[in-house]
Amino acid sequence: MMEALSFFSTSWMSPQLLGLTALGTFLGVYIGAIPGLSVTMAVSILISFTFSWDVNNALCLMTGIFMGGVYGGSRTAILLNIPGAPSAIATALDGYPMALKGEAGEAIGLSTVMSVIGGFVGIVVLAIAAPVVSDFALLFQPRDYLMLGVLGIMLVGSLSGNNLLKGVFAGSFGVLIGTVGLDPLTAEERFTFGVVELWNGISPIAVMIGLFGVSEALTQLHFMDKTAIKQKIDRIIPRWSDVKKYLPLSLQTSTIGVVVGALPGTGGDIAALMAYDHAKRVTKNPEVPFGEGAKEGLIAPEAANNAAVGGAFIPMLTLGIPGDAVTAVFLGALFIHGLNPGPLMLTENPQMFWFTVGNLTLANIFVLIFGLTGIKLFAKIVECPKGVLLPLILLLSVVGAYAINNSIADVWWMLGFGVIGYFMKQYDYPVGPVILGVILSRLMDESWRRSIILERESVPDFFINLLMSPLSLVLFISIMLIVVSKTTLWKQAKGRIFKSAS
Amino acid sequence: MSAPLPRKVGELFFGFIVLAFSVFLFWQAYEISGFSELSSPGSVPMAAAALMVLAACINLLKDLARPTSIDTARSFFRVVLPPIVAIMIAIIFLFGIVLETLGFIISAFIFLLVSIQFLHKKGFIRSFLLSLLALSVIYIIFRLVFSVILPEGLIPERDIMAWIGSQFSSGA
Repeated sequence: MMEALSFFSTSWMSPQLLGLTALGTFLGVYIGAIPGLSVTMAVSILISFTFSWDVNNALCLMTGIFMGGVYGGSRTAILLNIPGAPSAIATALDGYPMALKGEAGEAIGLSTVMSVIGGFVGIVVLAIAAPVVSDFALLFQPRDYLMLGVLGIMLVGSLSGNNLLKGVFAGSFGVLIGTVGLDPLTAEERFTFGVVELWNGISPIAVMIGLFGVSEALTQLHFMDKTAIKQKIDRIIPRWSDVKKYLPLSLQTSTIGVVVGALPGTGGDIAALMAYDHAKRVTKNPEVPFGEGAKEGLIAPEAANNAAVGGAFIPMLTLGIPGDAVTAVFLGALFIHGLNPGPLMLTENPQMFWFTVGNLTLANIFVLIFGLTGIKLFAKIVECPKGVLLPLILLLSVVGAYAINNSIADVWWMLGFGVIGYFMKQYDYPVGPVILGVILSRLMDESWRRSIILERESVPDFFINLLMSPLSLVLFISIMLIVVSKTTLWKQAKGRIFKSAS
Repeated sequence: MSAPLPRKVGELFFGFIVLAFSVFLFWQAYEISGFSELSSPGSVPMAAAALMVLAACINLLKDLARPTSIDTARSFFRVVLPPIVAIMIAIIFLFGIVLETLGFIISAFIFLLVSIQFLHKKGFIRSFLLSLLALSVIYIIFRLVFSVILPEGLIPERDIMAWIGSQFSSGA
């Protein structure tokens, strides 16, 4: 216990780590707030710069950005009705109407405090649940990992877009990209087309920067003429009575946030929408109707999306399975720093786990500080014109891709995926599952081959043993449920259209 | 779910490309180890490619069932690939081509100047100063603080740095 506490406080004691966490959180709040910049984009670009760093320094900066970014998205949702991040979509529903009524300062203050409360709930649950999950995860068979991977990709595919097929396509594409190069088990060439440079595969970071940096920047070019409307902000520190009044609701929705965040494939965006729905159901007589500036409608998603951060770290650290695109990028960073998140990490590397928990706590405190100050500076930064911002993102993407291996080849991969990602977005193909696929590819490939070798290449045995194990059965049923629910929905909708047409 | 929306311009063509690409990848995945063993290196790539082919096929069929968009081929360049995007893609590819020969400082400066001038449209002097400022900040943060190695090209950056360093050390 004492040991855990000392690991926990590593980043609190060292001025350098403290400074990096503060810097990360600060950057995160602003990156999350600037429309067009996202946490995924920032973390993907930063990985390439930080991988020669000490692990602790890099982790401090990145947890800060993650925590700050999830919160930062709410700022623009409230002020401009443009969610800075997908997890802030629900925040805009009531936050923007509040701003229109001249209550922008109050909305920001309340959302900050509630985000921080949510963040703490997430961290506490992470600290308690991760060791338990990790013990449990030791029971997982290779086939369970395979199914967890499939489940994660499918959930992200079906929830982030509205078309499961396109999600499946994107996820499989990602898995394929991840298999390029020499096979880690037999050293056979896969998709190398005889090119030696491809033996090491395509850098996942180049794919990430391309899909989240360049393709996003190119998409933003469509909206060059959107201008921001300024809002008056006065009082920002929320009233104590308000905080006390809404505390029960924020604790409830934080719980929703942690649970949803911990499921593979679901992150802050879904947690926030579910929390909003919950708030709507439990609030019998809101002072102001929902959608017109109800404080409940602002608090619920804000507490939930920050609680989801802690939740998302549970499967990431204990199973090595990312919950969504942001955690997938983060997981990529951990792999690059030579850490192997998985059930053994907590026993082999407890200092990393407690260090991360301590870091998240610290970052959460910085969110409170930066959230309640610097509003004037904030207004200036958000007004940064897109004509300057987008060239900068593109330049940073190129610098980032080049920095991975000091090679121009990665820049070309990055640009190639940037253009592919742009067209995918144009035709409603989600790009998140691609990254999830790339990150999970190796785990899924090895798990499949290990499990089928264990069954002596017999498919019937594979399924018999799968059905005999309760855990595998649950995972298998979950996957089937997603597939079936999507197809029947599709059929029902088709039937309805048929009726209305005839 | 509501009635199917009309196809976006070029969607069908994109669907065909996606399908052709998936089939090509499946063929490549088959080439790895064929249908030899379930645990062969080609098994997962083949399964993934098969899923891609399947998803692409169904998507294409669904797209075919949707009403045709009223847009003409020309509107592709308005809806999907407006000139502003096409030009930026061209600019950034040119930047990639000259990056190693011209070096980071020169090529990045030209890239910033051209793209800010093109997107921001606020006068040449302003673009020039903005590019200079942005490049200095990026250079200081990434080259000096993060010590990221960037292509040197025409400007003998390392020699200049070493010279500045030696001036300081000899002065002290």
